[in-house]
Amino acid sequence: MMLTFIPARMRIPTYVGAGGILLGTAFFVRGGRLWWVGILALVSAAAQVYGAYRRGGEDSDEGALAGSRADERQKYISVRSHALAGNVAMIAAFLGMVAGIAANAIWWWPFGVMLGIVGLAYLFGLSNYGTSDSD
Amino acid sequence: MRNRIREQRTQRGLSQAELGSALGVSRQTVISLENGRYLPSLPLAFRIARFFDMPVDKVFDPDDAESE
Repeated sequence: MMLTFIPARMRIPTYVGAGGILLGTAFFVRGGRLWWVGILALVSAAAQVYGAYRRGGEDSDEGALAGSRADERQKYISVRSHALAGNVAMIAAFLGMVAGIAANAIWWWPFGVMLGIVGLAYLFGLSNYGTSDSD
Repeated sequence: MRNRIREQRTQRGLSQAELGSALGVSRQTVISLENGRYLPSLPLAFRIARFFDMPVDKVFDPDDAESE
């Protein structure tokens, strides 16, 4: 999802910041003894936002991606990296599910859900980006 | 696939950054193109050929496909 009303260099830092705020808020909503982890998450997110903004100004492939000004080769690199991350996520989810089942643990199903989501996303990609049979 | 981008660029006295700016790509992409590590899309290949005022098949040599 591209939020084009946000200046290009601020897009990735905005995503990072939004993720950090969500994580911090989750700890505050949860309450209990771990509420202070929310503060750590917010401080960490602020540092990562600053880091992403700085990286976005660098003259490198990573800088171009962080600054949302990637050219076609840099976008291709990003797509391949995302594909690698997706493959690793799928394998990790599968191994986690298998380990959970073998250990007769109750935590096997979140891995199964992740495996299902990643698999469905792959199938969605095939139907969305694939070519049609008709003219 | 070999290409003549470096040769044409140096003939015109351009830096990699200047060529990248003219083509709308990064300096790193010009380096990858010159080294044959990246094959450009068709639109970019035509932009390169037009920039050097040469036919595409004179800039890129399709008979030499030793790299990806």
